[in-house]
Amino acid sequence: MLIFDQLKRDDPQLRVVTFVVLGGLSVLLAGLWWVQVVSARDYQESLDNQSYRTVRIPAVRGKILDCNGAVLAENRPAYDVCLYLEELGKPFAAAAQREVATARAQRNHQMAQEVKRLGRKLTKAERKKFVLTTKEKEECRARARFEVASNVVQQVSQRLGEPLTLDPVSFEKHYETKLVLPYPIVSNLDPAKIARFEEQSTSPLGVDLDVQSVRVYPHGTLAAHLIGWLKRDNSSMEGEESFFSYRLPDFRGEVGIEFACDKELRGMAGAESVLVNNVGYRQTENVWSPAEPGHNVVLTLDLAVQQAAEEALRRAPHVNFVNYLPPVRGAVVVMDVRTGDILALASSPTLDPNWFAQGLTTEEWQRISALQAEKNRATYENYMPGSVFKTVVALAALEAGLNPLERIHFDANPAKPTKAYILVHGHPIHDTAPPGDYDLRRAMMLSCNSYFITIGLRLGPERIIRMAEHFHFGEVLGLGTRQDSPGTLPTLQRLTEGWSDRNTANISIGQDPIWVTPLQVAVMTSALANGGRVLKPRLVDHVEPLDPLSGEAPVRFPSGQVRDQLSVNPRNLGWLATAMLADTEDPEGTGKHVRDEFPLSGLRICGKTGTAQVQDVHNNNIGQTTWFASFAPYENPRWAVVVMVEEGASGGTTCSHIAGPIYNALLKREQAAKTVAKGR
Amino acid sequence: MFDANLNEPQARLDRLQLAALAGLMLLGAAFVYSARMASEPNLVWYSQSWFRQVIWYGLGIGAGAAVCLLDYRTLARWAFVVYWLSIVPLLAVLVRGIGTTHGWGAMRWIDLGFFQFQPSEFAKLAFILAEAHFLSRPVEELRNPGNFFKALGLLALPFLLIMTEPDLGSALVLLPTGMLMLYAAGTPKRYLAWLLGSGSALAGLFLVTVLFVPPNWQLIKLEDYQRRRLLVYFGCEDSPATNLPRAEQDRLRKELRKQQFDDSHNVRQAEISVGSGGLLGKGWRHGTQNALGFLPRAVAHNDFIFSVIAEEKGFLGSVLVLTLYGTVLFTGIRIAGQARDRLGRLLAVGVVTLLFSHVFINIGMNIRIMPVTGVPLPLLSYGGSSVLGSLIAMGLLQNVYIYRKAY
Repeated sequence: MLIFDQLKRDDPQLRVVTFVVLGGLSVLLAGLWWVQVVSARDYQESLDNQSYRTVRIPAVRGKILDCNGAVLAENRPAYDVCLYLEELGKPFAAAAQREVATARAQRNHQMAQEVKRLGRKLTKAERKKFVLTTKEKEECRARARFEVASNVVQQVSQRLGEPLTLDPVSFEKHYETKLVLPYPIVSNLDPAKIARFEEQSTSPLGVDLDVQSVRVYPHGTLAAHLIGWLKRDNSSMEGEESFFSYRLPDFRGEVGIEFACDKELRGMAGAESVLVNNVGYRQTENVWSPAEPGHNVVLTLDLAVQQAAEEALRRAPHVNFVNYLPPVRGAVVVMDVRTGDILALASSPTLDPNWFAQGLTTEEWQRISALQAEKNRATYENYMPGSVFKTVVALAALEAGLNPLERIHFDANPAKPTKAYILVHGHPIHDTAPPGDYDLRRAMMLSCNSYFITIGLRLGPERIIRMAEHFHFGEVLGLGTRQDSPGTLPTLQRLTEGWSDRNTANISIGQDPIWVTPLQVAVMTSALANGGRVLKPRLVDHVEPLDPLSGEAPVRFPSGQVRDQLSVNPRNLGWLATAMLADTEDPEGTGKHVRDEFPLSGLRICGKTGTAQVQDVHNNNIGQTTWFASFAPYENPRWAVVVMVEEGASGGTTCSHIAGPIYNALLKREQAAKTVAKGR
Repeated sequence: MFDANLNEPQARLDRLQLAALAGLMLLGAAFVYSARMASEPNLVWYSQSWFRQVIWYGLGIGAGAAVCLLDYRTLARWAFVVYWLSIVPLLAVLVRGIGTTHGWGAMRWIDLGFFQFQPSEFAKLAFILAEAHFLSRPVEELRNPGNFFKALGLLALPFLLIMTEPDLGSALVLLPTGMLMLYAAGTPKRYLAWLLGSGSALAGLFLVTVLFVPPNWQLIKLEDYQRRRLLVYFGCEDSPATNLPRAEQDRLRKELRKQQFDDSHNVRQAEISVGSGGLLGKGWRHGTQNALGFLPRAVAHNDFIFSVIAEEKGFLGSVLVLTLYGTVLFTGIRIAGQARDRLGRLLAVGVVTLLFSHVFINIGMNIRIMPVTGVPLPLLSYGGSSVLGSLIAMGLLQNVYIYRKAY
């Protein structure tokens, strides 16, 4: 063979030359083996790192629907006019070249003048001062880029008939950090502008429309607190690729159903890899995992009932605007007493979740937070239940053997002869009911404090609290909406630590130290109505795929989940229901205003009004929370309607009035359902 | 004179070598095309680099054939004329106005309008011719120190001139070529040992000064970019002058580090190209490093052509390239062995070592076992001077082969 021939020959010098060449080629071969075969993977990785950028593509968010399929939250496309920088690469380079040439010419001119001034040739060090530094060249390039882009923006501006400017700082930042992504010139074009932009067949170089998905809530403020809203969040979810070079804007639920069902709604973000060149311009792209759209969430909410509830709450009569200015502050909960389905959940004042999707200014946010409009008053604000809590005390007393027909007499208050009063350890407690004889029915109907304080003191605090614990007061309901407050219920432990009869008297009439949310009261009312089952409130009926043809089965959430059983004598619940019925039907009843607007013929409503005094540390009344907790129909209860208004005139005049139109809406709903059933 | 050889049983030309050369030229044209594809998409085919390269191959083959027309011994009579003629443009290129930098910061080219003439390519050949001629004298005469130093002087003149351009790479390839020629000529071992010893001592001193002494203390003033290239190769960090305040030093150090990162860009990208080629490569014209411009387009088709081949044809492609060069080199050594006289033998050794040095330095640079120097890969790199020079050198080899028999 060629090489061995030479090695065999007796020619030491050429043998050395052969060895040198052979050795050199072997070294190269070994080196190449090392680089190309042994470490090929590392180099491939470096190659991928420098030439691929990964971009996270958010998935289309699922819709939120009411129980009849009405849309409460959906998405609409938003059109942006964007600059695709990679297409401007050549003009950028050309302009940069011109810019650098101009700068260089200027320097040369300066240098020539310097030569003239000194009358001699410049030294190397002196010449160096006139050479453009890398930084200066980079500045020239940036300037050139901005000019080119600015010209394009002006063309777009003319076409749209809208003055547009390019912000140099944000443009440069985008160029340096997000070159692969298009740079938005105008966001959220209205249809007229889209038409104007598309009118001419050719766009200016590097300009095109980009579509993004924007969350919209077609009913605006309706059920805003329950539906919730979004916040900007591009981060990766669990089970998703976590490393991305770039992330397109994405949103995540902040509160409400948007938060509670965020995982179902948001779907799975996709990923795209973009091949870039050495400057970082996009060359080609490849979607390697397409985004999977989110699921639709169907609520138990009924749009019509919700509308009625919000409307009624907005028009709340006789609100005493002393502690705050309109709009009314209050909440309404409508619950199906058999299943725990929430048919309406209103909180006022409300807000428009669309604001969050479009971006909120600081002032707007301040306005919202001044009203505490972001709070869901039905689930997140604690109130003293006042007389509404008397139902719990009465039930505990009946269970302990109270004779509902026993009459107890209360004298007239010397200070206010038309009203009764009671002395607890020598302290007079004023009543709003007149003096006279009271049995349970009359005491409930007229909301006689003296009666309930008497039976409460007879009963002792422990049994009241044990009964309240059955209703799960003082515990969160587990809504997952991030606006779920437990309220306060004194523990049995608390009774051993400086508990006085005055405290017992207070909780007997639902005053401090017991605090509840309107939804908790709705759960309580439902339990009284349905024979003692304390239900879990149900907000979501089912989650279904966005595409009904996908074949994926919807996930249904079980209804009528029992959290606790009161295990009370049904006769006692009957006594209570009768007493509550009197509250709306007896001419003397405090809740009779429920029929002010609508006759609600044939519907027999059991109700309990309440007015809790809000006191400051010196026991001065500084406000009041008014309530109406009710269920209907009396014969076969189906709905619980709980109304709470801050600073209402009284539970009767303000809150029971509000409940009227809601019951009317519920009756209509039932009527409609019957018609549909008949039609089939 | 060809008639006299008509009945020769042996081939008049070394066909194996010619086949390997043809293979290299084919590869060269194909990969110059691939490397320039992204840079000249709109040019007509006859203005594209690959076609110009083919023209240069044609001209080079013509020049190589022309060299074979005359017996190398006849050519060698003109050796010193050629040598001095080659020194003239080496001097001329240093004169501002004749030489041009092409914006690269080194005066290596003479602009002839149609052709950017690189005198060092031809000076290398002239040196081989002259040195072979000088050393072909009887071995006894080489024991004379005067002759030894004359031989060194023949090497030193073009070496220093090319260094001044500066073109470190082209100058450096002269050293192993000269050394091996001296050795093959039978120069006494003690001279060579002395040369090697003092040479390495000087080189060591040079490197230590460049790499570790702060700039304001340095005795040898290299061009900034040369110094930095060496720093990149040896993985050393440049240090700012020590007489500056601490904060200023830190700032400079940071800047130097960034600069070093930028400086090592070409090598890093070349290495990524070679490495990402893997065993089989990405396929001709499918290399991304060059297409996306990570491998700088200005050098992809000349100094870094090997990384384009390695990326697109993988380790197998690299082996092919090495095999082709190996064939040329070993046939060259065989020609040296078969040469009829010392002159032919030395000419062949000179051409072989020159070619080998180019190959080793250029490919070594792609896998970072050699520093970056602007040494072309013979016949593969784009460039008229290099192609012409290489083919003329091959013509010399064939010449030695053709006239190996005494008539």
